[in-house]
Amino acid sequence: MSCDQLRDHYELYALGIAEEPERGEIREHLQRGCEVCGPGVKRALETVALLGASAPAAQPSPQLRRRILASVGSEERRFGLAWAPVWAIAALLVAAAYFGVTSRRYANNADRLRSQSAELRAQMSAQSGEILRLNEAFAILSGPTTTEASFGGQQPRPPHGKVFVNPSRGVVLIASNLPPTAADKIYEMWLIPKGAKPVPAGLFQSQVDGNAMHVRPGIVDLASTAAVAVTVENQAGAAQPTTTPLIVAALVTP
Amino acid sequence: MILPLILAVYAGPEDRALIERLKRRDPQALAELYDRYGRLAYSLVLRVVRDKAIAEDLVQETFLRVWNRVQSIDLEKGAIAPWLLAVARNRAIDYLRSSAGRDRNAAVELDESDHAPLYREMEAGLLVSDQVRRVKAAMEKLAPNHRTVVELAYFEGLSQSEMSAQMGQPLGTIKTWVRTALQSLRDELGVAVSSS
Repeated sequence: MSCDQLRDHYELYALGIAEEPERGEIREHLQRGCEVCGPGVKRALETVALLGASAPAAQPSPQLRRRILASVGSEERRFGLAWAPVWAIAALLVAAAYFGVTSRRYANNADRLRSQSAELRAQMSAQSGEILRLNEAFAILSGPTTTEASFGGQQPRPPHGKVFVNPSRGVVLIASNLPPTAADKIYEMWLIPKGAKPVPAGLFQSQVDGNAMHVRPGIVDLASTAAVAVTVENQAGAAQPTTTPLIVAALVTP
Repeated sequence: MILPLILAVYAGPEDRALIERLKRRDPQALAELYDRYGRLAYSLVLRVVRDKAIAEDLVQETFLRVWNRVQSIDLEKGAIAPWLLAVARNRAIDYLRSSAGRDRNAAVELDESDHAPLYREMEAGLLVSDQVRRVKAAMEKLAPNHRTVVELAYFEGLSQSEMSAQMGQPLGTIKTWVRTALQSLRDELGVAVSSS
């Protein structure tokens, strides 16, 4: 077709509603660099682009700008490495939200996406909790008034490790060679006062390699505490030890 | 195919510098792009999908698409705003089609209209506020039926056959209305562009 025949179809092409054979003809003219149709379609695109400005003015939420920038990673630069895991997960959330935009169009994907989103939120929450726990542990380990005690040195293949007690911040237990517990069991740490009943100090599980770190934040009266112990208890924990301690770390008052 | 032409229509020095920074993966350039055109893109997408949350999702998609595609195309001579609006419109109409179960092939051929090279060498400042007012005035001048078909094509992504079915008018009538409306807009906005 000649350029003259196509002239009236430039705007239709720019709008995307040109029909065949005109659409294919215009495409072919553009591909060969037609000096008539090229500028003609360009002017049509100007007109069509301007139509977008005829939409009623609306204001997006302030969060949209942050979402867009976060999705290309620009927010990461403002924060230190300590926040890297959190922001990595945040980026995943944004990515999930982005891909969710596309997938949301399909109703049968909606539940799966919601589930993924909830899972990611849970992971982020867990990650935040882990960072908090590590910060607490670091504060105890680095405190100038922290006392440490080893355990497990005399047994053939015992759980071994150390406890760190800071009077104003709490207790950190770091252990290796912990045997796996039964499915319905859990480790429970105890602070054992001199001449009094053991005080529960939190539940924890070991990793598959037998390692564990447990943090019990809070004030500890080091002068009245004789030892830190660990027993195996039912999942809900116990008010008092019901099994023989697997770990006993005797504390020496400075 | 269309993108170089579209870019060609609108390039200004500021846009060119912005494009260069986007190509260098400068996130601050994306922030500036959003500050310049985010509201315009959002207004357009909201007009199409009529849902604020979905509109924001689609605008986010739009900016990410521009961010991801700006590397692979020659934009030195192009303006980014019309391309961005074309991408935004296409995302929004794609959404409408998929949510309504409409056949993509029966309607607008969208991919061609956000092809970046078509936007090369477009006039700077095409989308400044004065032009926006002129566009709205030109739309207001159209006869109601003519304005309706333009809006159905641009904001709803309907083909002329789909408009015919929706409006209960013969296809030939629709084609006449569309052609007359576009001719009027071309005349009005052609004057507007050249006089800026």
